[in-house]
Amino acid sequence: MKSANNHRLETITDSSMPGGGLWGVLAFWGLHGWVLAYSLVMLGAFFIQFVKGEFPCPLCMLQRYGMFLSTMGALFVIMQARSGTLTPSRYAQGLGMGLIGALAGAMVSLRQIALHIMPGDPGYGLPILGLHLYTWALVTFAVVLTYSGVALIFAPRSIPVAPSEMSALRWISTGVVWLFIGVAAANVVAIVFLEGFAWVLPDNPVGYHLIEQLTGK
Amino acid sequence: MILLFGTTLLIWRGAKHQHIIVLWIVGLVAMLALFRYHVTSILNLSF
Repeated sequence: MKSANNHRLETITDSSMPGGGLWGVLAFWGLHGWVLAYSLVMLGAFFIQFVKGEFPCPLCMLQRYGMFLSTMGALFVIMQARSGTLTPSRYAQGLGMGLIGALAGAMVSLRQIALHIMPGDPGYGLPILGLHLYTWALVTFAVVLTYSGVALIFAPRSIPVAPSEMSALRWISTGVVWLFIGVAAANVVAIVFLEGFAWVLPDNPVGYHLIEQLTGK
Repeated sequence: MILLFGTTLLIWRGAKHQHIIVLWIVGLVAMLALFRYHVTSILNLSF
């Protein structure tokens, strides 16, 4: 009986969903923009880590975690939309995950900005376009918070609608999802090399602990 | 990070949404715990 009631509730909720239309399409690809942008941001962080030789500090890694937690909300909605099981409540859950993840990341960014706010402090790492990476991270979190807020305001009209299977757009969507999964996997490898057999990162990392521990140097 | 990656894979595989939400919350709590661990000093700021 309970499951029948749940089913009826789900049906009512689903039937109240608008057909999607332009707003639904925009919402679907807006979420891909979110996933793609954070994937590229983290690839940029890898460039600075491996090419420029700057090791990420613990607060830098925590901001990456904030980006992952936030992007998982967008990914959750995308995958639900692709499988055709997205309901307004799950859309709200995904946006909520994105919002809280961005809030957690912004908190870490603000702490790191405050650490280097005193006049004359050079900051941590090299500035990019005049701002340090943790300041750019705060900008991205602010953009995500704004996006999520706007998406929630327009939620009744903007339930994401996925393109039909086997269409070219579907392949683009799959590519974006796989890019994010690849970046997440690369971060797992990177953090294992940075931390070695320790549970946490050193406060001021200067090398890859795993290599040091394995080679004894 | 392994936990976050695992949750990402579950989302991609279309696991039950309750499992995803619970794991995501565990990841968030772990991140906040790490933040608490690394941030030990009070900022000495005066304006």
